[in-house]
Amino acid sequence: MARKHGRGMAACWYGIARTATVDRASAFAEIDDGGTVKVLTGVTEIGEGILTVLAQIAAEEVGVRPQDVTIGDNDTARSPEAAHAGATRQTYMIGNVVAMACSEARQRLAEVIAKQWDVDVDLIETANGEIWARGTNHRMTMSDAVHCAKSKGVVPVGSGSFGTDTTGLDPVDGSGRPWQAYVYGCQVAEVEVDTITGEVQVLGMWAAHDVGRAVNPRGVEGQIEGGIVQALGQGLMEDYQLQNGHTTTPGFAKYILPTSLDVPRITSIIVEDPDPIGRLGVKGIGEPAMVPTIPAIMNAIYDAVGVRITSLPASPEKVLEAIKRKEAETRQHAMQAAE
Amino acid sequence: MSELRIEATINGRKVKRTAQPHQRLLDFLRDDLHLTGAKEGCGAGECGTCSVFVDGVLKKSCLVPVGKAQGTNIETVESLAMGNDLSVLQQAFHKAGASQCGYCIPGMVMAATAAMRANPFAGREEIKERLGGNICRCTGYQKIIDAVELARDVQNGRLPISALAELDQEDGKFIGANIRRLDAPSKVSGALKYAADMTMPNMLHLQVLRSPHPHARIVSIDTSQAEAMDGVEGVITCADVPGEDGFGVFVHDQPIMARDKVRYVGEAVAAVASEDPVIARRALEKIKVVYEPLPALFDIDAAMAKDAPVLHDYAPDNVTKHIPIRVGDIEQGFAESDLVIEETYSTQAIEHAYLEPEAGLAYVDPDGVVTVISPSQNITHHRHMLSKIIAQPINKVRFIMSPVGGGFGGKEDMIYQGMLALMAMKTRRPVRLVFTREESIASTAKRHPSRTVLKMGLMSDGRIRALQLNMICDGGAYGLSSEGVMRKAAILGAGPYNIPHLRVDTLALYTNNTPSGAFRSFGALQTQFATETTLDMAAERLGLDPFEIRRVNAMRNGATTHTKQKLKSVSLLRVLEAAAKGSNWEAGIPTSRGDTRTDMGGEGLRPACTLGARFETIEATEPQSEVA
Repeated sequence: MARKHGRGMAACWYGIARTATVDRASAFAEIDDGGTVKVLTGVTEIGEGILTVLAQIAAEEVGVRPQDVTIGDNDTARSPEAAHAGATRQTYMIGNVVAMACSEARQRLAEVIAKQWDVDVDLIETANGEIWARGTNHRMTMSDAVHCAKSKGVVPVGSGSFGTDTTGLDPVDGSGRPWQAYVYGCQVAEVEVDTITGEVQVLGMWAAHDVGRAVNPRGVEGQIEGGIVQALGQGLMEDYQLQNGHTTTPGFAKYILPTSLDVPRITSIIVEDPDPIGRLGVKGIGEPAMVPTIPAIMNAIYDAVGVRITSLPASPEKVLEAIKRKEAETRQHAMQAAE
Repeated sequence: MSELRIEATINGRKVKRTAQPHQRLLDFLRDDLHLTGAKEGCGAGECGTCSVFVDGVLKKSCLVPVGKAQGTNIETVESLAMGNDLSVLQQAFHKAGASQCGYCIPGMVMAATAAMRANPFAGREEIKERLGGNICRCTGYQKIIDAVELARDVQNGRLPISALAELDQEDGKFIGANIRRLDAPSKVSGALKYAADMTMPNMLHLQVLRSPHPHARIVSIDTSQAEAMDGVEGVITCADVPGEDGFGVFVHDQPIMARDKVRYVGEAVAAVASEDPVIARRALEKIKVVYEPLPALFDIDAAMAKDAPVLHDYAPDNVTKHIPIRVGDIEQGFAESDLVIEETYSTQAIEHAYLEPEAGLAYVDPDGVVTVISPSQNITHHRHMLSKIIAQPINKVRFIMSPVGGGFGGKEDMIYQGMLALMAMKTRRPVRLVFTREESIASTAKRHPSRTVLKMGLMSDGRIRALQLNMICDGGAYGLSSEGVMRKAAILGAGPYNIPHLRVDTLALYTNNTPSGAFRSFGALQTQFATETTLDMAAERLGLDPFEIRRVNAMRNGATTHTKQKLKSVSLLRVLEAAAKGSNWEAGIPTSRGDTRTDMGGEGLRPACTLGARFETIEATEPQSEVA
């Protein structure tokens, strides 16, 4: 068995939020009884962990804990517009509006409490379910603070709206400002190629991505790992096939997906270059995570066995055929040289 | 066939029920016992989302006829958390961030539980092998495997139970902290209800009749026999659409159900609702559709051919969308270049393969609000479109997003919600539709298959002088997100590099193939694959390290993009440095130097896979790396 090893790399860039159009989102927040927080926004979880991210943001802005936050989401008749779940936009668009709404609610509460304590509102601090005035011994729980505000006729609520400064593209030369935030990434792949079967195994991936600011680093890793494995599927095995318009890959017996046995060890390297426009400095990771993976793997295959796969997927049959073609060419060159 | 009597022990309780002989154990658990923790992902034993224990053995319950449950002891995911306490393994999944969309997770937790029961000391490679029958599309498996290792170590006393607990953030700073996912307990326990797990009183089941032809004129549709069937509560076709019948993310070129023509195999033609899904399926066979097959387009060359059949009247050249980008003078750029490389790349159609097939539930509320609950990625836009389709004011349409069992762009299209709404309006009863895996694969969007010709001109020092990128994509039968995909492919295709002369064209064409649509990374994956591979070739020809050729060309702070946008901070150089350092990259010219490089076989690798060779306990070993 001849197993050859190689490494390859590729870089990428990506735009955050909707493309070449004005993106927008909004949220409502209420600091609720018991010192809890209620957040309403029109779109949320598709599995990436945005609910947790929003709870972390709300908790830090208001001064409670993430488990004290309830996100009432995803209902066009009950929550304000937040547009869609896609375009690597949720942490950027919704994260920022939740911070804005929570900040406004907190300010409303802080003003009431500052008046009660007869201190400057700028001295008010909140964290982990407590509210206090810096440099004084005034301190109470957020639960008591909400009770106090309500007894004075104030419900601490806030709202946030965020839109992007972007334009469409010129129909002739494409000029325009499609996004206001961009991210960059780079991945290195290490592969093993079996020259008898043509099978490629990706053993390791190193992925460095700028995410602006990581709200939940483990969640960012989860996006990078999942993105890389989806791209690995397209790079090496997945292939939706049609014959005269009828699919010949109608189920998972024919449409082959990566399993736990196919996945490389993945090392994520989070780079933070904060977005200067949004309040939080966050950007995104969902889609860019999978962009450099395939060229990094294909370049690694070249490094290992000297064949360029330019037509996906790099199935064992295709890789083997390319290796055989290369060997034949090498023999021919050798024979010509000998003559 | 006569009913079966099933007596079994299910999650520790004796159960005595009658069951239909055609039922599978999965149906019996979900429909009759309301144990919806086991999910249906494929119905063919391929994905593992329906895993349960039968007499202690891990089984895919979609492959077990209900009759086989007679006299057995069955454990489902609901049995693992006793009282309200999650099992150690479930807590480890929570701690490690092992759940994302969560749809595969109950099955994954069952498989992991089986692995730990079989070998409480299993090493990482054995754990992987024991989870090999369960597919996850979100996580890349790494955190799932980490979770099983964490649970193993806690159970064996190598780690304290506190290793599973949340970290305190005493300073109240939660942004930047690895807070455990708040939705994980509902996912690891199987408690979370996805659309297919939801029921309503008086609910009907919808089934869809789909086109067997890639392109055909509909001569007639006769639904009378189906409507006359006992148990059928409603049949709908395009004739039931009261408003403007069209949806799509950019162009509204797709009717809720085929109107006059079908344009791909799997397109919805009519739908039936019944209290019994079996009756609904039988009724589909009674709908008589007369088709007149038309010449069809199966690839981009055919779509561009002179006198090609026209699929949509508004697009006589079969072009869904063309996006151009122009900078400088491309011919001058190539003339000035020291090296010109031209290569053709192709990428295939890809299925999103989210583990949750499409499902939804619709009803008309007492105030006449048409309400659709579904795992839609874009409830805002769906509301706008449905309001026009059913000719109702926008506040008479309500969309609720149910937990999404994986989307990746595939659930942005309003491919079935319109049928649910129309049937709820027609029958005035709640209606639910659950796709089979085969239906999901045949009828929903794919990643655009593409052909890209990339020509790159460079100076001898590695600077890119000119780049010409021409991508043509098979957009399939309807527009969906093609326009946006072409735009993103064009804007990002040449990469984050300074290029004085640029000519980019991306083009999507209509064909009679399964429609292409939104898919995570949206066209940028196809074009940057071409650019990044060509850069590797250029580095070899010019004698440069692949990182170096990118550094030479990298956009820096204040750069102007290909669309003439001025950037502020550009992190590309930082990111390149981080990847080179993190991977311990040995600089060199990419001349297929795998045999001689010295940076391989280090940390951050898995052992190469040799099936079955790795069943050994953790004490026995550090896994043997086969890397030379």
